[in-house]
Amino acid sequence: MGYDWDFAVVLRDFDLLLLGLLNTLKVTGLALLFGVPLGLVLALCRLYGNALIRWPVGLVIEFLRTTPPIAQLFWFFFALPILAGVEINPFEAAVLTFSLQSSAFFAEVFRGGIQSIERGQWEAAKAIGMTRNRALRRVILPQAVKRMIPAFLERAIELMKTTTLVGTISYADLLFRANQIAQSTYRALEVFTIAAAIYFVVIFACSLGVRLLETRMARSGESTAR
Amino acid sequence: MTEMLRLEGLVKRFDDLEVLKGIDLTVQKGETIVLLGASGSGKSTLLRCVNFMEVPSGGRVHLMGEPVGRDGRGAAISYSERDLVPIRARVGMVFQHFNLFPHMTVLQNVMEGPRTVLGLPRSECEARARKYLDKVGLGWKADAWPSHLSGGQQQRVAIARALAMEPEIMLFDEATSALDPELVGEVLDTIKELADEGMTLLIVTHELGFAYTVADRVLFLSAGRILEEGRPEEVLLAPREEQTQSFLRGHGRFRLPETPAQEQA
Amino acid sequence: MDYAWDFSAIVQYRGLLLVGLLNTFKLAAVCLVLGLAFGLPVGLMRYARSPWLNWPATAFVEVFRNTPVLVQIMWFFFAFPIISPFDINAFTAAALGLTLNTVAFSSEIYRAGIQSIAKGQWEAGKALGMTGKQQLTRVILPQALRRMIPAFMNRAIELVKMTSLASVIAYGELMHQAKTISTIAFNPIEMYTVVALIFFALIAPPALAVQRYEKSLERRG
Repeated sequence: MGYDWDFAVVLRDFDLLLLGLLNTLKVTGLALLFGVPLGLVLALCRLYGNALIRWPVGLVIEFLRTTPPIAQLFWFFFALPILAGVEINPFEAAVLTFSLQSSAFFAEVFRGGIQSIERGQWEAAKAIGMTRNRALRRVILPQAVKRMIPAFLERAIELMKTTTLVGTISYADLLFRANQIAQSTYRALEVFTIAAAIYFVVIFACSLGVRLLETRMARSGESTAR
Repeated sequence: MTEMLRLEGLVKRFDDLEVLKGIDLTVQKGETIVLLGASGSGKSTLLRCVNFMEVPSGGRVHLMGEPVGRDGRGAAISYSERDLVPIRARVGMVFQHFNLFPHMTVLQNVMEGPRTVLGLPRSECEARARKYLDKVGLGWKADAWPSHLSGGQQQRVAIARALAMEPEIMLFDEATSALDPELVGEVLDTIKELADEGMTLLIVTHELGFAYTVADRVLFLSAGRILEEGRPEEVLLAPREEQTQSFLRGHGRFRLPETPAQEQA
Repeated sequence: MDYAWDFSAIVQYRGLLLVGLLNTFKLAAVCLVLGLAFGLPVGLMRYARSPWLNWPATAFVEVFRNTPVLVQIMWFFFAFPIISPFDINAFTAAALGLTLNTVAFSSEIYRAGIQSIAKGQWEAGKALGMTGKQQLTRVILPQALRRMIPAFMNRAIELVKMTSLASVIAYGELMHQAKTISTIAFNPIEMYTVVALIFFALIAPPALAVQRYEKSLERRG
């Protein structure tokens, strides 16, 4: 392998990569901002709605969870604008797609969290005269959310990985920038390796944080059982 | 005498299984009723029908002289959740597994009902919560987390939480069954104190000695019916029914306090 | 929204879609088989006491789990050919990325599955005079594999979804064929709707089956 590595060429455009990373984080952050509350609404509809609400919501959740994100992104970017007669730029399409897509996953996290709370908690709340809504707000959700935090963060990391797709509709995220630089410098090996390294550093740091949190929660959970 | 609770032909079915097969019972203000029976006899279900944790399948429940539920078409009575919520607020319940809210401190647990259900001002809730925590002897644990308390302490907090609603009837559903033997006493003492103060109590328990000392009336349930009913010395010392006798024989831990028995004789 | 839907072009180009579907299956099958096969040794290496086995395996798994799979595919397509001793086309690049990704994730499933078996089971095998390998293959794996099945199924489902990323490097799987047709026939609405429905029809039934199976496992305890 007589390849001459040359990172200098690439490092000249390093700030472009960082700008790309910023866009990656922007899309991820906004998708979380919209996706989490929407996920809660979907979960509550699926858990407590009547059949007319429960079934369609369940179908939408399953649809968003089982179709590839790229198919969703293309649909929102290429199909929706014509269908709805509105202009949607890549950034908007990306935020829309990933908000909806992640809301389906967050809905399932919420649902699992709510269902994991012991029946006795519902009964105790009911016994002091709470309505279901109040019991949910005051007793169930606060406990459920705490349990769900690791699953939420894992999902958020998963979301960040998925946003690499936005390059396919020409939104300038990190991967899109890397591809551009690779084409202009003919240094694909260095550029893509560096891009991968940046992703790894960011995502691995997040993963380690989640793992740390999980072990800490497990430890405090042991002493606060029941 | 004021009637607090009247059950007329109470029936509860779970799918095909009829757990309560027509219970008639009247409870006066200040009475302490102990429900005995083997597991599956329906005693817990009976209790849970009183505060409508379970909705009766048939018969009628009168609380504080008022029939609960609306007459529907035919014999069916319709219960709407909206009507049941305020009733539960007036009937306190203590569970076998305490069910304290783990994300709230002891004080917050006790304040929660008065604050969010009754909508009382904060300061009043806190004063009330502290009063009832003092009553169960746990005022000093107000800022502790439930997980840091012993089982007996948790159960006393649960009692304070129910009392803070200032209910008219209190239900105890095997309140000491999940406790280590050495912690049972403190909880029973707390319940006894309530009985002495004239609170109306319905108690499901396996502690026969306690039943003997605290009860005004003991009910023995079998297969969803009240098989035998009477003063504690009648049911516990001279049971008429074969089933009651064999149930009592099965509880070897039951030691009668000697003096009151002799007084009765 | 009085858009007049027109699916005729999709019917006309159904041959292209069929080819895409077959390519999707081909890619998924190759990556699944290779990924599960190599996942076991990698998972076992992470158990090894020797740092020479443990470290590379851990590094490999962390790198592939903590980078986006699209980055992996693009790296193998654009970067790897520069140093590769063999030719890389879209299929090999996608297959390399997805296989290694599957190896990393499935090795964690093997590891967790083996960890879930009580230590007493190893000891019981040992006490019978079994070698370490016998303990693993005769006692541990048969028990662990059953518990791993839902996780593997979920991985397989995830993999089928991920094959759609190969469209980015122009491998002719379902998504890429749809893109092509929508460009030729100017029917993005119909085409992308249909392709989403096809994926849904492919993936939803097994996904539902896994959910059911997981629930029944929970109930059996």
